[in-house]
Amino acid sequence: MKKAGLRGYIIKRLIYAAIITWGVVTITFVLLRVGPMSPADKYLSNMSARTQDPAQVVAAIEARYGLDKPIYEQYFDYVVNLARGDWGWSFSNSLPVVTLIRRHWVYSFQLILLSMLFSATLGILIGVFSAVKRYTRTDYLATLFSFIGISIPNFWLGIMLILIFSVQLGWFKSYYDTGLPMFSLANLKALVLPVITLGTGMMAGYTRYARSATLDNLKQDFVRTARAKGLPERVVIGKHVFRNAILPIITIIMFDLSGIVFGGAYLTEIIFGIPGLGRVSFNALFASDYPVVVTITLIGAMVVLLTNLATDIVYTRLDPRIRYD
Amino acid sequence: MTEKKSGQISDRFGGRRNLVFFSGLLALVAVILLDIYLEAQILEPMGYFYIFFALVATCYALYPLYVNRRLTRYYWERTRRHRLSVLGLAFIIFLIAVALIGPLLTPDPTKVNFDKKNTPPVGFTIQQSVFDTKTDQLVSRETPGTWQHPLGTDEKGRDMLAMLVSGARVSLQVGLLATLMAIFIGALMGVMSAYLGGWWDNALMRFTDVMMTFPFFLLLVFIIFIFGPSLAFIILAIGLTGWTGTARLVRSETLSLRTREFVMASKSLGASGARIIFRHLMPNVISSIIVIATLSIPGIILAEAALSFIGLGDPTVTSWGVVLNAGQRSLDTAWWVAVEPGIMLFLTVLAFNFLGDGIRDAFDPRSQQ
Repeated sequence: MKKAGLRGYIIKRLIYAAIITWGVVTITFVLLRVGPMSPADKYLSNMSARTQDPAQVVAAIEARYGLDKPIYEQYFDYVVNLARGDWGWSFSNSLPVVTLIRRHWVYSFQLILLSMLFSATLGILIGVFSAVKRYTRTDYLATLFSFIGISIPNFWLGIMLILIFSVQLGWFKSYYDTGLPMFSLANLKALVLPVITLGTGMMAGYTRYARSATLDNLKQDFVRTARAKGLPERVVIGKHVFRNAILPIITIIMFDLSGIVFGGAYLTEIIFGIPGLGRVSFNALFASDYPVVVTITLIGAMVVLLTNLATDIVYTRLDPRIRYD
Repeated sequence: MTEKKSGQISDRFGGRRNLVFFSGLLALVAVILLDIYLEAQILEPMGYFYIFFALVATCYALYPLYVNRRLTRYYWERTRRHRLSVLGLAFIIFLIAVALIGPLLTPDPTKVNFDKKNTPPVGFTIQQSVFDTKTDQLVSRETPGTWQHPLGTDEKGRDMLAMLVSGARVSLQVGLLATLMAIFIGALMGVMSAYLGGWWDNALMRFTDVMMTFPFFLLLVFIIFIFGPSLAFIILAIGLTGWTGTARLVRSETLSLRTREFVMASKSLGASGARIIFRHLMPNVISSIIVIATLSIPGIILAEAALSFIGLGDPTVTSWGVVLNAGQRSLDTAWWVAVEPGIMLFLTVLAFNFLGDGIRDAFDPRSQQ
């Protein structure tokens, strides 16, 4: 009975994810077609077509990219090509978009992964500590710190870090060195400033969530029972409170991806010159290279969708109390 | 109800306030249509935003607060208990004053003066190499800060103070207008979805889910990339993408209200759907809406700053993001160009966060201490 419920729930979630995917793809298509510029114009503005007849060039480009077909056929082609993994041609890089993504995704991935590890570890620790020491000076300090961390614009923080640690003190390089091997200390050192830039805002958010989740649990009866049994405070906090508080925090961390992390990573990559997807999209913006911009927006949405899906499903395993209806 | 007829009409739409609101809205739409028809600019695009949101704010925020003065005083007492939130409010009022009066007192923020380039703020002195016209050589010269440019100048000799004042104007415009717009759309979506239920609810909420799946900033960049940057359009884009959280919150609040006795009673007395939505549901979710509005202003101000920082902002206005962008390029020659707009941005966001926190504690019935 329970098992069937779980399977049904997962199937339902998968169907639901498929519907969302369709919605996301459709919205990008509609936006592209509603926009004031035809994609052909964007290509044209990048081609040195001065010696030729512009009308002819436009016609040729429209035929090349299927823009002369009726709109429903274009839509169909768009969806089918996306599904087949044919994401278009980036003419500013003279590469298929897929190759471009494959070459650059890892830089974004390492930045986001390291920042999440850094901010989640520190944020949760500070948050739990601050809740345990509620209404003490430590707690107020942690709260003030989290307010500052949430309010500080991360791109400005990045510039300030460069100003202090690169320009004035010269400890770190102000740009990311791409020649370094992925798993090396030098690479880690190059990522210190970007990770702090991206991680500070996230860490402040997690501190707040962790603090309130811990406070909620501290009030529970099982904590009083644990204390009444004479368990040492370390065990009460570490085993009873922390374990119960961690699950909702992790959920929030996963759902946070779409809001703070991607926007932050985009800006961090631009500031430090990390050649990740954000930087690629940024360069494509000013080259009017629209297949790249579309694809990276879609990848962002897909990553959010899949993490949410995974979180939902894993959650059912981790929390036996959850009901699947 | 003094006049019988108007009483009936206003009852159908849930009160005179809504009648005023909708007639104002219709008048505004008529002016817009006339504007499009005549192809003459009666108002700037921003003008329409202002009038529309002034209408929303008067009918649904200021008027209820004025009518229920006792409640307003109660909320104010509770907000005031947070010293930090009062501090935040003071800073915001100061910023609004600066944005309104400042441009009259400061020089033109776009005026370029290469003779006065890279002047540091008052109290600082830097060494910089200047081209000497007498000897035709670059000479290293000491440049002290002067009171003529209290916050210094940038690499083109533009006055920093004037640019910051202009930036305050832009940030507040975007922050307030885009938030109001996002909140308005979100509240409407949420209430409709919860009240209509069934198929409608499903469709609207799935649409909300789709919009939520897009990373906010990436979607914003994508939209501005397609439609081109202008301040009015940036506000529109943020407003049209930033409503999802509000819609969800308002929907869940409304769902729990819908089964309450007073709504049931009103329904059994034969009240229309519109009347129940506007007269009974909306007023009850308004406190959550005010809280979420205050808390979403900082994110929206930051989004605009980030857009102009990466060069997708309106090229005709001087916003903090634009100055910051220029500052990043001249970090090793003029540090203050990057530092000053960032501090303003940080303080503004901090002030709104403090205020939002205080308001949340005051308006949220669950946080009774």
